[in-house]
Amino acid sequence: MKTTINPFIFFVIISGYILMLASCNENGGDPPTPSPAKINFHFTQYNDGVPQEYDTMKYVNAAGNPYLVNEIQYFVSDVTLHFDDGKTQLLDGWKDIHYVDTDLPETHTWQVFDDIESGTVDRVSFTFGISEAKNQSLMFLNPPERDMFWPEYLGGGYHYMKLNGKWLADDNQVKPFDFHLGVGQIYSGGVVHVDSITGFVQNYFEVNLPNSSFTIAEGDTLNFEIRMQVENWFQNPNTYNHDEWGGDIMQQQAAMHLGCENGREDVFGFYQLQEK
Amino acid sequence: MSRFILHMNNELFFGVRHFALHAMPYALCALLLTLLSCSTDEPSPQPEPYQPTPYEIDIPYGFPTILNIPADNPMTVEGVELGRKLFYDGRLSGRTHPDSLMSCGTCHLQEKSFECGIDHPEFTNGFTHGITGTPTPHVMLPLINLVWNSNGYIWNGLVAPENPSMIYGNLEDLVWMGVAAEHEMNSDTTRVKELFQSIPGYPELFEKAFGSQTVTMDRIAKAIAQFVRTLISSNSKFDKYMRGEVQLSPEELRGFVLFTTEEGADCFHCHGGYGNPLFTTNKYYNNGKDSIFDDPRDRYAITGDPMDKGAYKATTLRNIELTGPYMHDGRFATLDEVIEFYSHDLVNTPQIDPLMHHIANGGIQLTPIEKSDLKAFIKTLRDDEILNNPDFQAP
Repeated sequence: MKTTINPFIFFVIISGYILMLASCNENGGDPPTPSPAKINFHFTQYNDGVPQEYDTMKYVNAAGNPYLVNEIQYFVSDVTLHFDDGKTQLLDGWKDIHYVDTDLPETHTWQVFDDIESGTVDRVSFTFGISEAKNQSLMFLNPPERDMFWPEYLGGGYHYMKLNGKWLADDNQVKPFDFHLGVGQIYSGGVVHVDSITGFVQNYFEVNLPNSSFTIAEGDTLNFEIRMQVENWFQNPNTYNHDEWGGDIMQQQAAMHLGCENGREDVFGFYQLQEK
Repeated sequence: MSRFILHMNNELFFGVRHFALHAMPYALCALLLTLLSCSTDEPSPQPEPYQPTPYEIDIPYGFPTILNIPADNPMTVEGVELGRKLFYDGRLSGRTHPDSLMSCGTCHLQEKSFECGIDHPEFTNGFTHGITGTPTPHVMLPLINLVWNSNGYIWNGLVAPENPSMIYGNLEDLVWMGVAAEHEMNSDTTRVKELFQSIPGYPELFEKAFGSQTVTMDRIAKAIAQFVRTLISSNSKFDKYMRGEVQLSPEELRGFVLFTTEEGADCFHCHGGYGNPLFTTNKYYNNGKDSIFDDPRDRYAITGDPMDKGAYKATTLRNIELTGPYMHDGRFATLDEVIEFYSHDLVNTPQIDPLMHHIANGGIQLTPIEKSDLKAFIKTLRDDEILNNPDFQAP
């Protein structure tokens, strides 16, 4: 049987199709893709509740040492967002190790490359320094990170931190201190020489930032301050006395251990800088 | 077919003849005008298009990958070749009398790591002076591995991109300074460029390097800067040790331990080591030499920060055994004197850098054997390859 299409019905179908296409065009095609959520970290240093001042002997630590701070350089790595649903997001796009140098303003802000998943973040954590797996010698060939290298004989890789300053010693002399944290060494027989090293200690540690819960949605760009409270390196739980440990501690694991315990405790704070 | 061809040929012939008869006067005029217009110039071959060959720098093992090559002065083989020729040409002083010639190479000797050394025949004890006898404010710094320096040139970092003065930005400006400064060539840059413009052969080299035969001081500086950026030291005994090619002697290894540990001599924080084979951070430190700071050319003169009084650039220790006298003012003639200073004679002031933590004891307190070991290690930083590389010699 031969079938034919009524010309009127054919006209209506085609017209409807054209109208449907036209209506789509008027709406701009596919619905717009929302911009991903982003976060920026701003690294600051405070002392006794106010921004750190440099090269001025105005501070007194918990041990009673008057001291000044000349410069601070440190690594923060493996920053991780812990969501309330149990998921985690490691921020490792382009880089997973960020260098902060108080003398270099360009290091004070980290615009995180990663798109941030929407949701509620319960807490933010990071590794202070660099984990053993990642702390490989010659991975930073260019300054400024290059100048953080930790000598091969002492364990290799890179300093976690250089906090350089001076203190008024108990003999009333102003002496430099290099509060440097990195890979520690175990010496046999109490002889501090590389020939006596029997092992190394990975001193990097995880920091769980207090009060670091926030909610983020698509299209948001949130700014957070990661604040170092400098005086806390020398207190809680351990009172760190420069007169006891002297000016250099790269080969004093016991001193680095005290510093790292203090660092893990309450050196770092977390603050949201502006509303979304 | 043949008749058709003949017909066509006839048509063509008459057509051509018709065109020739009518157009010939115009064509002759045009030809005459063309000849007249060319008659004042010598016929010259078509110039070759400007196609310089890129100069590639191979990054040595462990060296930085970021190079200080400004965008407006890319490295080319032709530019480096011209720069090398200029580097050694005494007419850079703008003078032609044999007694008045001075080039970069007059003072920056290859066999002294492109420094003058302490036994230069013209400069007593390594203290240089300009062509007219004016003493240079500080002793020299070697011209090696500067392509990796982005933290300022000369002892106080005057020449740096951060300097708001446009004339003190990069290595090119350092060349310019060398030509013009009273305590160096003391020359007039206009005279220099006009002189090189008149020297047969140079305009052609400038054309190869920069696409124009016109000699300018800017191009002179760019060419020399390109050559200086090729002066790379990366093949000392220590480099070979880093690459696993040789072993250090027990004495050298003991010295390396001293060099690279805080309980030893702690040289590495300022002078590098395995993690920084440039053997300098290119930063500025007050290393405890003085208690009075009256040098108008220290780091303080640049930054205005009182804590920078008495601070100077940490020099590279590569080939350091050849580049005495030492410190900015050349106060030490030998490496032994330098090691003795760091061992026992440091001066504590508020400005001393915190990295000088041994100041509490007056120095690093090395024993005679340790001093010998440290010196032995420092000598492994001698790189004979750069000292003898024919590519760096006078052409």
